[in-house]
Amino acid sequence: MMQHDAMTFRNVSAGYKQRKVLDNVSFSVSEGEFVSLIGPNGCGKSTLLKTAAALLKPLSGKVELFGQDVQHIKPALRASLLGVVPQKIESPMAFTVDQIVMNGRISSMGRWGTPSSVDHDLVERSMIYTDVLDLRERFFTELSGGEQQRVALAMVLAQDPKIIMLDESISHLDINHRQEVLQILMNLNREKQMTILLVSHDLTLSAGISDRFLLMESGTLVKAGTPVEVLEPEVLSRVYNCDLHVQQDPYTGYLQVTGAIDSLRHRQKLNKSVHVIAGGGSGIELYRRLLIEGYEVTTGVLNRLDSDAEAARALNIPAMLEQPFSPVGSDAIAQALKMVADADAVILSQVPFGSGNLVNLTLAEAALNSGKPVFLADGITTRDYTEGKAALAFTTRLMQSGAKAWHSMSELMTHLQLYQNR
Amino acid sequence: MKRIKHSAVGADNSFTTQTRSRAGLRMLLFFAALMALLALSMLLGPSGIGIPDLESPSGSAILSLRFSRLLMGMMTGAALSASGVVFQALLRNPLAEPYVLGVSGGAGLGATLTILAGTGVVASFSLPVVAFLSAVVTLMVVYGIASQGSTGQPSVYSLILSGVIVSSICSSIIMFLVSTASVEGMHNVIWWMLGSLQPVSAGQQLLSAALLFGALAGIWLLSPRLNALALGREMAHYQGLHADLVIVIGLLFATLLAAIAVSLSGMIGFVGLIVPHVMRAIFGPDHRKLVPLAALGGGVFLVVCDAVARTLLAPVEIPVGVVTALAGGPFFLIILQRRMKQAWIA
Repeated sequence: MMQHDAMTFRNVSAGYKQRKVLDNVSFSVSEGEFVSLIGPNGCGKSTLLKTAAALLKPLSGKVELFGQDVQHIKPALRASLLGVVPQKIESPMAFTVDQIVMNGRISSMGRWGTPSSVDHDLVERSMIYTDVLDLRERFFTELSGGEQQRVALAMVLAQDPKIIMLDESISHLDINHRQEVLQILMNLNREKQMTILLVSHDLTLSAGISDRFLLMESGTLVKAGTPVEVLEPEVLSRVYNCDLHVQQDPYTGYLQVTGAIDSLRHRQKLNKSVHVIAGGGSGIELYRRLLIEGYEVTTGVLNRLDSDAEAARALNIPAMLEQPFSPVGSDAIAQALKMVADADAVILSQVPFGSGNLVNLTLAEAALNSGKPVFLADGITTRDYTEGKAALAFTTRLMQSGAKAWHSMSELMTHLQLYQNR
Repeated sequence: MKRIKHSAVGADNSFTTQTRSRAGLRMLLFFAALMALLALSMLLGPSGIGIPDLESPSGSAILSLRFSRLLMGMMTGAALSASGVVFQALLRNPLAEPYVLGVSGGAGLGATLTILAGTGVVASFSLPVVAFLSAVVTLMVVYGIASQGSTGQPSVYSLILSGVIVSSICSSIIMFLVSTASVEGMHNVIWWMLGSLQPVSAGQQLLSAALLFGALAGIWLLSPRLNALALGREMAHYQGLHADLVIVIGLLFATLLAAIAVSLSGMIGFVGLIVPHVMRAIFGPDHRKLVPLAALGGGVFLVVCDAVARTLLAPVEIPVGVVTALAGGPFFLIILQRRMKQAWIA
């Protein structure tokens, strides 16, 4: 079935007197779609929203809402088709929350501004939907940022629009309020078939909830399509002018866009690689520090769901993984041995040993045998839970064959540098 | 997420239409106080305190004079106060007042020219008319300057700025004219600028009353939209208002009110700035209530101030503009301090 177009841009150029901001933009959003509009700061996202809401007149081309030219739609009708949640609303006077939300009905109320029972119903319904009913007698100016944003959303919902556009209104909320507002938006989208256009800076978050992405770069639409189609590392890295990675979460299938850590990682490449034997969270600080110092890092064998395994995934560190809560098997060890073969050194973190992961010490042994430096965290006796203190015996043997002990992080880094300079 | 039962919520609007008995009581007290103050002002005057002897012709003349000053005060105070409410809402600025767009400067210049030039040729009747017309011309000039270089609607900031500039230019010209004027002319100009509720001619009063009611009704019609505009022009636009149109019409009506007030009574300060704040602090910022309440409150406030001004040092009359700030200032300061949170963002 053909879906109706809720919003259509036809070759729209728009902007200000001297400066064209949007350049020949064309796209359409279908009714009931959840679309994220992304792009770097200053690429024209806000201008696009203003043009869509007829706050700016296009220099050429036209914007249609449900097939009608938005410039020719009466303001009251336009408000019933399209609601806009701005980045932030500021009320200079002490309006209460219900007075603010009632503003959403302003263009539907009669000349005297007396709300009808329909107006009251819609106001209440949207306050319930956004969970601000309890705040209705509070002053808007006294609310927290998250509460204000929910009230703003309630106000726009009270307009009862068919499309809602949000201009980065969730990006400065803390994580739980962001989740909450997104949850509301998703419900509106799924239950009421409301069309949603979200201007977003959180690519990962948007990827999880959007049907489609629109990617903008300096006033033009670069790409439109599903999150998978648009979130291509090469395109993103060029548009955002920094190194970006896109990974698919192995468990949820969601796309993740990361950048900061990787750029840190490439700060000063040493072309030295270190394999870390860790587990139970003992590796996190090691990974971080080694990456900052410029080492390539591999790790394993770790159990999936182990906090070190999660950290390795987040930091984009290659890791050899075993099933959760299972002893490390021979296949995994064989794979990990290949990692060790490629590494210049092996580091053992302050990982506790049991019968399940004792076999990881054979990795250190292999490294020693091929003449590579091995560094063992000291104090193994307190972390040895194997029967007959097998780990202690093993490490003592390793020390005798030339492994070095390390106590503090700075000590370890000094050791590493010495070997590296040799 | 809470599921919404449409019927249950829709059945009664218990949440948003809750009657607020405290607000009702406050309103009742307010009206009682207004009536009492109006009655009190009828009892005060330079001829003595109390109801004058109505049997004697002088007594009834005194009473009718007091009544016409009451009307003058009501009109001027209502115009200034309602105008202040609109300016503060549209410019979203707590310092906005009726004279912010240069009305006082323009009207003052017109009046000064009339007073200094008017030796019989220009009758006293024309002074208010000239003041009114020059106020309107000033607004047009200010608006024109502010619109330069912007597409369509000038911004609030450029409006305020050009208002201040035009006002300063007018003031400078007035000062130059006054400095070169005769002692008598200087005296007249200064007295006019201090403001006074000396009744103007009946024709003038009638015309002013008609314009005043028109402008107040217009502003009251705009008042629901003023609520939306308090969140800014963009938000009002998104909510389906002709935001630019509402702003322009609102500014015109508010300036018209200020011009009416200036033409009636000269330049009386303080009322248009503070009374809106006090009314907002007491009754909240909803403009549907605020506009009529501020008009009433401003009117009665000015009537009382005038009664004090003409009685305190009788037979000398203190300029009413002096009394508004001197007597009203501390009183309103107390109210505002106690209810600061409701008045404006604290």
